[in-house]
Amino acid sequence: MNNHIYDAIVIGTGISGGWAAKELTEKGLKTLVLDRGRMVEHGDYPTAMKAPWELPYADEPTQEDIRRHPVHTRPSFYGIKQSTKHWFVDDLDNPYEETRPFDWFRGYQVGGRSLMWGRQSYRFSPMDFEANGKDGVGVDWPIRYDDLAPWYDYVEEFIGVSGDTDHLAQLPDGQYLPPMELNAVEKDFREKLASKLGRRLIIGRTANLSAPLKHDKSPQRAPCQYRNLCMRGCPYGAYFSSNSSTLPSAQRTGNMTMVANAIVHELIYDNAKGKATGVRVLNAETGQQTDYFARIIFVCASTFGTAHLLLNSTSSRFPNGFGNDSGEVGHNIMDHVFGSGAGALVDGHEDRYYTGRRPNGFYIPRYRNIGSDKRDYLRGFGYQGGASRQDWTRLVDQPLLGDELKRAAEAPGPWRIGMTGFGEMLPSHSNHVTLDRNRKDKYGLPLLNFDAAHGENEVRMEKDIMNDAAEMLSAAGYRNVTPYKTKANVGAGIHEMGTARMGRDPKTSVLNGWNQMHACKNVFVTDGSCMASSACQNPSLTYMALTARAANHAVEELKRGNV
Amino acid sequence: MNRREWLKCMSALALSAAGAPLLAVFDAHAAAQKPAIGPRFFSPPQADVVAAVVDIIIPRTDTPGALDAGVPRFIAQMFRDVYSKAEQARYLGALAAFERAGGTPFLQLDAAQRKALVTRLHGEALASGRHIDHNSAAAFVLMSKKLAMLGYFMSEPGCTQVLQYVAVPGGYQADVPLSKAGNGRAWAVETVLRL
Repeated sequence: MNNHIYDAIVIGTGISGGWAAKELTEKGLKTLVLDRGRMVEHGDYPTAMKAPWELPYADEPTQEDIRRHPVHTRPSFYGIKQSTKHWFVDDLDNPYEETRPFDWFRGYQVGGRSLMWGRQSYRFSPMDFEANGKDGVGVDWPIRYDDLAPWYDYVEEFIGVSGDTDHLAQLPDGQYLPPMELNAVEKDFREKLASKLGRRLIIGRTANLSAPLKHDKSPQRAPCQYRNLCMRGCPYGAYFSSNSSTLPSAQRTGNMTMVANAIVHELIYDNAKGKATGVRVLNAETGQQTDYFARIIFVCASTFGTAHLLLNSTSSRFPNGFGNDSGEVGHNIMDHVFGSGAGALVDGHEDRYYTGRRPNGFYIPRYRNIGSDKRDYLRGFGYQGGASRQDWTRLVDQPLLGDELKRAAEAPGPWRIGMTGFGEMLPSHSNHVTLDRNRKDKYGLPLLNFDAAHGENEVRMEKDIMNDAAEMLSAAGYRNVTPYKTKANVGAGIHEMGTARMGRDPKTSVLNGWNQMHACKNVFVTDGSCMASSACQNPSLTYMALTARAANHAVEELKRGNV
Repeated sequence: MNRREWLKCMSALALSAAGAPLLAVFDAHAAAQKPAIGPRFFSPPQADVVAAVVDIIIPRTDTPGALDAGVPRFIAQMFRDVYSKAEQARYLGALAAFERAGGTPFLQLDAAQRKALVTRLHGEALASGRHIDHNSAAAFVLMSKKLAMLGYFMSEPGCTQVLQYVAVPGGYQADVPLSKAGNGRAWAVETVLRL
């Protein structure tokens, strides 16, 4: 059994788990890092260098791909392509239940969804950490922006975030590599938004290296080559993923033991010690059961992976799920209001173009319910978008055939611009997951059942998201302004949050202000499940900062003998 | 395809009639009545018609054409493995209508007659817009145009000789004169084209 004892165990290797692994190993802890999926070393990206013509079926999914991925081929998702389908779970082998429909898009491999994430990296603002308390919604965050600001600095500097300094109270600036540039039409839109509506448009802040990192701790990472094929995995290591960044750092310490195909299905609780002592693991390939033990445990299994694990870990102390004295485990699911926006055609600028493929777009920071603006809903939304020249598909319904068609395709088309909103979703106890112990997956584990929907606040906000987008494009003088709404359920934003929220009161929250379980001090949960509110910014950067901060605290507490 | 490109395509589809699925009506019962489709998908006569039509849509000029780029094979693969039973049935039904459209079997027409027929039906399809009869000869021409363009502009000749493609740009310039953007032609990019 000796070889199954560690200082720390990290469950999951995605955005959060990778950071926990790096921080804990760098602080000298012998750390076991577990992932339920297969091993993916940096560079194991089979489609990364394939040209369009080297991908079968014009990169479209086959009928067999669609049959295996009934969830992942819903209209709200885009990942089941020949170039990226290997990063997403087989839905038939990984079922879940939907009392109300939920889009659960997952990647089970070492690196998790850090391989395929959108890389947009925004800080939450002071306003975001104060909002729940002010509005009387959910529970107040137990921390404030100033608690997290140094950890945002720390994380941004390590991963490399390209962005501009924009001096916006609702979107604090960070430690940035040079910003990428806006193209001709995006600049035009920026000027018109400012002059006609007084709104800001900025270049997206993205975890792609627009210049070399300012440190020498990640020699495997090179600047962006502007291929915009990030989601396939980047052989240059030019965007942040666990595989390209945090896991290699953890590996170099010599303190990490990585085990792939390791499904953690139970946290082991010791009544006498009043602590978690380890984890129960099922090997995904052999079915072999192994117990591993450690002094502290970091749960970074993703929002619903963590909810599943906690709910499945019952004992005499925790009959309703691990750390679930509050009854809030599995509750308060949040995502972002997603799938709506508008597009338009832009006349002119036909002598302007771009070279290279920018893995980034523009961002319109939140402006609703800020300052004197007051709407009939709480909180707000931001937009992500971009302008580009239309490709050859514009010629399908043009009266062109033969040589004329080929000639027309040689020229870039007119400019078009589009943007999609990402809106804040309020926490609600009624949005929750439960375990259905009557139905098991192929590993014999109970299925998660989702029961969540947007509330009145989100419905009202979504109307504004569409209307405002159309209004802004119209105000800029663009034509054929077309609002759109993609069929999308909660979850489609893939910004899963809640299910083990932070808070001050153990009666109403699962974690304290250090991401530490109120009811079991040697367990830390630092993935999206810890979030008390969702803001409208892409949340991954916040998970990273919270994880680094929690790991630092955990090691200090270990040294003090408090855990 | 990543989220940024996908969102761009979604908003583009909302803007464009080209994005309207031509095969929107799903008739599972009718599809189930169709005879089994072999691994080659098209019968040899059907394959000859498809090849002749895509050759008219994207001929060899000073650059390679659809046949040079292997488009007929691409189309057969797409129907065999990618498109649904309903889409398969729809295309074959429209192909049968196309075979009857000229009075004489298409392959017995001379080159000028073939081109005239395809051009006329293409015009009819565009005039019908979203109200097109999905089983019509005109629908066959428009679907074949989409397939030919998708296969061709994703092929190496299409990407590199008509469009321009750089595997590893190595840098990004957001706003340059068109004439300074590589050779000044349209960049080959990821895209979505529904049948």
